[in-house]
Amino acid sequence: MKESKSSLGFDFIKGFIQENPTFALAIGMCPTLAVTTSVVNGFWMGIAVLFVLTFANVFVSLLRNFIPDEIRIPIFVILIATPVVIVELVMKAYLPAIYEVLGIFVPLIVVNCIIIARAEAFAYRNPVMNSLMDGLGIGAAFTVNLMIVGGIREFLGTGQIVFGSAAFPSVPFFEPAAVMLTPPGGFITLGILMALFNVTIGAKGKTND
Amino acid sequence: MSIIAIIIGGVLVNNFIFMQYLGICPFIGVSQNLETAMGMSGAVVFVMTIASAVTAAFEQFVLARFGLEYLRTIAYILVIAAFVQLVEIFMKKTLPGLYKALGIYLPLITTNCAVLGVTMLNVRQGYGILMSTINGFAGALGWSLAIIIFAGIRERWQLMDIPPALEGFPLALISTGLMSLAFLGFVGLFKGLF
Amino acid sequence: MDDKLLITPAPHISSVKTVRGIMLDVVISLLPATLAGIIIFGIRSLQLVLASVIAAVAAEAIYQKVAKKPVTVNDMSAVVTGLLLALTLPPDAPIWIPIIGSAFAIIVAKQIFGGLGTNFVNPALAGRAFIVAAWPLHMTQDWLNPMTHDAITGATPLAVFNNTGTTSLGVKDLLLGLRAGSLGETCIIALLAGGIYLIARDVIDWRIPVGYLGTLALGTWIFGSPNGFFQGDWLSGILLGGAVLGSIFMATDYVTSPVTPTGRFYMGVGAGIITLLIRVWGGYPEGVTYAILFMNLVTPLIDKYVVPKYYGYMHDIQARKAAAGGGTK
Repeated sequence: MKESKSSLGFDFIKGFIQENPTFALAIGMCPTLAVTTSVVNGFWMGIAVLFVLTFANVFVSLLRNFIPDEIRIPIFVILIATPVVIVELVMKAYLPAIYEVLGIFVPLIVVNCIIIARAEAFAYRNPVMNSLMDGLGIGAAFTVNLMIVGGIREFLGTGQIVFGSAAFPSVPFFEPAAVMLTPPGGFITLGILMALFNVTIGAKGKTND
Repeated sequence: MSIIAIIIGGVLVNNFIFMQYLGICPFIGVSQNLETAMGMSGAVVFVMTIASAVTAAFEQFVLARFGLEYLRTIAYILVIAAFVQLVEIFMKKTLPGLYKALGIYLPLITTNCAVLGVTMLNVRQGYGILMSTINGFAGALGWSLAIIIFAGIRERWQLMDIPPALEGFPLALISTGLMSLAFLGFVGLFKGLF
Repeated sequence: MDDKLLITPAPHISSVKTVRGIMLDVVISLLPATLAGIIIFGIRSLQLVLASVIAAVAAEAIYQKVAKKPVTVNDMSAVVTGLLLALTLPPDAPIWIPIIGSAFAIIVAKQIFGGLGTNFVNPALAGRAFIVAAWPLHMTQDWLNPMTHDAITGATPLAVFNNTGTTSLGVKDLLLGLRAGSLGETCIIALLAGGIYLIARDVIDWRIPVGYLGTLALGTWIFGSPNGFFQGDWLSGILLGGAVLGSIFMATDYVTSPVTPTGRFYMGVGAGIITLLIRVWGGYPEGVTYAILFMNLVTPLIDKYVVPKYYGYMHDIQARKAAAGGGTK
C-alpha cells in the first residue's frame, strides 16, 4: 500500500476546511444534531470524540502493518470501542451531569461514522504522526462545529449562552424560540449552516446524490 | 408499559428520526428513491428487531449475571457486528433471493447508529427481553416510515430548480426539519391510556 | 396569458387560468373571513394581516433577489400565504410573530426548494407549526374576547369541548363566530361563503373538505363524548376550531395535495382521522395544522399508489362484461 506523505500541518488544518466532517463530508450527523442544544454539551461531546478519534487513529496506524485486510473492520471496532469505554467511565466519574445529558450518544461514539471512516481512509494507510495530526485536526474541527451549532441553537432557543455559572447575555433581549432546542430546530439550523458553508468556505465541486 | 404504547411510541411519538436523531446518515443516504428506501427498511426492521432480542438476552444472562455492565458498549457492538455477519453468511447460502434483494444494505446496518442506539435505549428503559424486542421492532417501523415518506418526497426533487449551495445534504436536513415539525403533532398521543 | 416558457412538474394541464388568477380567487374568497375577523376581534386583526402579508411578500422578493432569480411576487402566492398564516393566529399575538412566521413560511418552506410548485408542505401551515413550537405561550394564550376586544384568559371553547364533549355555544354563535379563537377560523359562514366561491370557480376540489369534515364529524360522533360511544356532538366538533378553515383553504393547496380525485378524498379522510386523534387523545387542543402537514408528507405516496381510472375505463369495463356475458364457447 502506497503511503502518502502530506505535511503534518496540512493534516491538522484540513479537518476545518476541505475535510470538515460536519459541513463538507456530512458524516457524524447524529451526535451533531442530538447534543447541540448548548455550547457546553457540544464542547464535551467534541472533546470525547477528539480523544477517541486520536486514540483510534494512532493505534490503527501503529498496527497498520500487522492488521490483516480481511478482518480489519472488526479490529477497528475493538480499537475504537476501547477508548469509548474509557471516555464513558471517566465522564461518569468526573462529569456526571454532562454524562447524563449526553445520554446514549456517548456509547454511540463507537459507531460514529467519522471515526471508522478516518481509520479506514487515513490511519490504515499513513504513518503515526500524520494519523495523530489527522485525528487531532478533525476532532478539533468537530468540536468547533458542535460549539457553533450548539451556540446558535442555545442562543436562539434560550436567549443566552451559559458557561458554568456565567451567562451571556445575562438577560435575554428577545423572546427565545423554544423550537430551536427541538429536532426541527436542529435539522433546519444545521441545514442552513451547511448551505452557508458551501457558499462561503466550501465552494468546491459538490457531489450530487 | 404495554405493547401498544411501545409501538405507537416507537412509530409516531418518539420516531427515531424525527424525535430521537438516530439513524440519520443512512436515512439521508438511502432515500433517493422508493425502492432503495424500502429495501433498506426491510433490512433495518429485521436487524433491529433481532439485535434487540439478542443484546437483551446477552445483558440478562451475561453482563448482569457477572456484573460486567461497564463492558456494555464494547460487548453490544461486537454482538451486533457478529450477528450481522452471521446473517449475511446464512442468507447468502439459504435465501439467496432475499440476500440479493437486500444487497449492500445489510453490512451498512452495523454502523446505523439506530441499531446500537435502540439496544442502549432498551437498557435505559429497563426492558426485559420481550419488551426490548418489541421496542426494537417499533423503532425500526418508525424509521422505515420516515425513510419511505422521505423517499416519496425526494423523488419529486428531480424536477426542481435547487440552488447548488443547498443541493444534497443541506436541503435534505431542512426537509427533515419540516417533516419533524409535522411529527411534533404526535407528542403526547395516547399518553397514559394504555 | 403569459408567453414565457414555463417548466413545471406534471400534471400539465392547459387552461385559461393563470397562477395569478387562481391566487386572486383565493384572496377574494378569504375576504369575508378576514373582514369577520376584524369586526369580531378588532383592529389587532387588521394589523396582524397586514404585517403577515407584507412580510411574506418582502421575504419572497428579498430571497429571489439574493438568489438571483426572477422576482415573482406578482403571482400573489406570497400574499395568499401571508393572509392564510395571519388567519390562524390568536388575535392578540405580537406583531413580530406573523413577520417571523411568514418569513419562515416563504423562505424555508417554499423558496429554497425552487419557489412556487416545489414545496412539499403547505407553507402557511409550516410557518404556523414553527411559531407554535417556538412561542407556544403566545400561540395558546393570546386570545381576545369577541366584540369587546379585550384579552381573555382560560381555555378556548375547543379545548373545553375536547375535555367535556359539550360546548355552551349554540349553533348560531358557532356559525357567526362570536367566540374566542384564531382570527380567521371563527366565522364559519364567512368561510363557507369563500369555500363555495372557490368550488364554483373550480379552484378547489370539494372532495377534500367534504372528506375531511365528514370524517371528523363521524369520528367526533363516535368518540367525542365522555359518556360513551356514538353520542358525540359532531356538529360542534366540526364547527369549533380550525377544521373548516383548514379543510377548505389549506388542505386544498394544489401543490401539496394529491393529483387524483380519489387521492384527494383519501387526503381529506386521513386529515380528519389525524385531527380527531390529536384532539381526543393527543397532547394538543387542535390538530388541524399537524393533520394537514402530515397528509402533505404522504401525498407523494398517495399519488404513487392511487392509480387514476384512465380515459375509457368504463367503456372497457362494459366491453369486458359484454364479452363475458355473451359467452365464448
